[in-house]
Amino acid sequence: MQILRTVAVVMAAAASLVAQGPAAPHEEEVMRHYQAVLRVDSTDPPGNESGVVAYVKEQLEKEGIATQIFQLEPNRPNLVARLKGSGSRRPLLIMAHTDTVNVDPKKWTFPPFSATRDGGYVYGRGAVDNKQDVAAGLMTMLRLKREKVALDRDVIFLAEAGEEGTTRVGIMYMANQQFGAIDAEYCLAEGGGVTRVGGAVKYASVATTEKIPRAIELTARGPAGHGSIPLQSNALTHLSSAVAAAANWVPPISLNETTAAYFKRLASISTPEEAERYRAVLSPDPTVAGPADAFFRKEAPIYASMLRSSISPTIVQAGYRVNVIPSEVKATLDVRTTPDQDPEQFLEMVRKVINDPSVEVAWAARDTRPNAAPARLDSDVFRTIEANVTKHYSTIVLPTMLTGATDMAYLRAKGMQCYGIGPATDIEDGPKGFWAHSDQERILETEFQRYARFYFDVVRDVAGRK
Amino acid sequence: MRQTTLLVLLLATSLSAVQSPSQPSWPAQEEEIMRHFQTIVRMDTTDPPGTPPGGEKPVAEYLKQVLEKEGIPVQLFALEPNRPNVVARLKGNGKKRPLLLLGHTDTVNVDAKKWTYPPFSAERKDGFIYGRGTIDDKDNVTGMLMTMLMLKRQNVPLDRDVIFLAEGGEEGTTRIGIQFMVNQHYDAIDAEYCYAEGGNVTRVNGQVKFASVQTVEKIPRAIKITAKGTAGHGSVPLEDNAVAHLGEAVGAIAAWTPPTRLNETTATYFKRLASVSTPEEAARYRDALSPDPAVAGPAQQYLRKNEPRHWSMLRTSLSPTIIQGGYRSNVIPSEATANIDVRQTPDEDPAKFLELVRQVVNDPQIMVEYANANSANRPPTPAARLDSDAYKALESMTTKHYNAIMLPTMSTGATDMSYLRQKGMQCYGIGPALDVEDGPKGFGAHSDQERIVEAELYRFVRFAYDAVVEVARAR
Repeated sequence: MQILRTVAVVMAAAASLVAQGPAAPHEEEVMRHYQAVLRVDSTDPPGNESGVVAYVKEQLEKEGIATQIFQLEPNRPNLVARLKGSGSRRPLLIMAHTDTVNVDPKKWTFPPFSATRDGGYVYGRGAVDNKQDVAAGLMTMLRLKREKVALDRDVIFLAEAGEEGTTRVGIMYMANQQFGAIDAEYCLAEGGGVTRVGGAVKYASVATTEKIPRAIELTARGPAGHGSIPLQSNALTHLSSAVAAAANWVPPISLNETTAAYFKRLASISTPEEAERYRAVLSPDPTVAGPADAFFRKEAPIYASMLRSSISPTIVQAGYRVNVIPSEVKATLDVRTTPDQDPEQFLEMVRKVINDPSVEVAWAARDTRPNAAPARLDSDVFRTIEANVTKHYSTIVLPTMLTGATDMAYLRAKGMQCYGIGPATDIEDGPKGFWAHSDQERILETEFQRYARFYFDVVRDVAGRK
Repeated sequence: MRQTTLLVLLLATSLSAVQSPSQPSWPAQEEEIMRHFQTIVRMDTTDPPGTPPGGEKPVAEYLKQVLEKEGIPVQLFALEPNRPNVVARLKGNGKKRPLLLLGHTDTVNVDAKKWTYPPFSAERKDGFIYGRGTIDDKDNVTGMLMTMLMLKRQNVPLDRDVIFLAEGGEEGTTRIGIQFMVNQHYDAIDAEYCYAEGGNVTRVNGQVKFASVQTVEKIPRAIKITAKGTAGHGSVPLEDNAVAHLGEAVGAIAAWTPPTRLNETTATYFKRLASVSTPEEAARYRDALSPDPAVAGPAQQYLRKNEPRHWSMLRTSLSPTIIQGGYRSNVIPSEATANIDVRQTPDEDPAKFLELVRQVVNDPQIMVEYANANSANRPPTPAARLDSDAYKALESMTTKHYNAIMLPTMSTGATDMSYLRQKGMQCYGIGPALDVEDGPKGFGAHSDQERIVEAELYRFVRFAYDAVVEVARAR
């Protein structure tokens, strides 16, 4: 079995060498790596990245690239590989995560771990989150070595575990206990992407900062009692009103360099009507910003969330019997604070909005992320990414603040300048249910290939000898 | 009106004094009352049943053993093996139709960590007995058990059979309790009159203020409200967030004041209550009945805040009790639901009422409907008569034991009497004296803790015995 596979790999490698031509160099090889990692089930939970890591390790070592495995728990390996540079500049870290979210197999047209190629797409869990980066990162390492690219910076490849909810064994372990193995000036990771609308590229976004995930727990207390006698102190009523008040509250707009640049650049490629709205929310005058902000809250909530710290009530669980008024009830609010938001000040504002002494408002324990400064927009890396976006996609780059959390936060907290990138996806694929975390997941083959080329070029340009 | 009542009372009292059988020596019985009471409170008969097999069987078997030892025959009727109903009968001469004494042996459940004294300890402390069921309804079970034992011991000649039914399943499983008995074993309990839980004597600052006897009750229903919205990631707030809409709807429903609806019982209740109240309170009770909203409004607002049971007696009421939605802090769920405990006045039109609630919610994302409750099983029934022998006996014994006025009451909660009233039985809800301050302190029925004043348990047993003798003895 093992021998057969090796033979097959060697033959395939030979075939790819033969197939290599100017039009599509490396395409067959990177597709092979991509399909190979997609075919390994590494869903998290339960979390078991060892299959993917074994494959990546084998490919790297076959190329003569040394690897190290860092593992806090069995079957949760993090792989690190390093190509040495001259040391004249500090390292570049390229990061991908090897785990995926779970699947409901009956919702899939093509089995979720089949990596089926059909109609120009590749289907599979992890296709855009995040095995495209595993494959592109691996291919970049192999090519840098194979093509003997001279480097100023070390290039470190981290294939990490546990991104989808078990960061304890992944980035937290690496950042807190093995940071020496991955310490770098810059980092590229998931978090950005190129947006296609109607099949045409519209813009690229590069994540330079992200909101911080937190949770507020509301606890309302009152006397328990029999449902036949309404009490004005009914804890559940107070909780409900508090949840509604928190959800209806519009926290103040709070921009930073990234979000201001984002809306300004977005306006430059939008229709006049859209552009006016994007510019309006940048206005310090509430009568100008207000209507546009209200439009976003209703029609484009992702923009409304980028403008401020946000609140979404997500869990209410209270009471146990229809004729008993419960004495204590709780709700959870998903809170995403902007990077510069003081958490205690925010909590105080929420308390004022709820304004009910029977409702306790407190931060809940959560797998949160450290506060960190946004990555700079004037760095080498950002400029190199911009140049390559122009080269490969002929479009504009929007520096983006992610509303969701990524593992870059742990690295930014260490002072690393991290940029989130990603392949082009069709905006229409989300509502159709083909995005990250959707019931199905896919990528256009041509976009996967374009991304692999873009990825290599960015890394070579950032780390190569000047 | 008032004078006539008193005259009748005096006559009744003097007549009964002439022909009454010899009184038991009550102080000597207190040890026995306490023994039975503590024994059954210490049995966990929570409903829904707790640790398997659960159920009311331990209490049923204890009652059976105690009654049979006294020579009173007992039958057990069980739809489910661990949930028997106990029936005991003392034969009368048949001149009048029977009197049924009804108590339930199950209790609501407990959150054990909220109890200072363990919920099944029956701890005696500072004149109280603590435990789940101490006022709902193991007090009545004990009072009726003792009544049966004493009737037998005192050899009281009876014009009517006295039937004791200690039933299971009152707290939510009436299928195996009153419904089973009414639908399949009615012959065993058929009677003209019935005394059961549902009334009490109100003490304020330790002083008896008035007695209430339940003659009619509100109808329990449940409304389920369902909010639907778009599912999404918590990092991107959505205006149609189902949890947020649900919160808003629950808040609106709880803040709403449903229209006032009085009936004969409640009108009499507040009028009589005014007659034993301070001038300030009396003015409020009278104001609350006024058809003029400008007069009734402030009085009712006061009651809503300070006397919520009275506010509930004036109208159909709503209490949000359960809310559920969401499973993960970063996912906005597509659906969230809440249950509202609704108690309708007997004359309320359920469909029209639902329509009113929908107007209050006024949100197209929210569906408002009756939950699949067993409300249909408790259809509205006419009030029990205020001029019957059974009512008059309670009134005279209230005077004798509590020296207080008796108010006919519409209970806000549901009792199993509604099933018996459907059969034409005249049912009256009674109960021991409770401190009005205990409810807000969290010691009421269904509260986190539950307790009874020890001396009031004894007084209630004497009262119950005397009332039964008054209605059933041979004349």
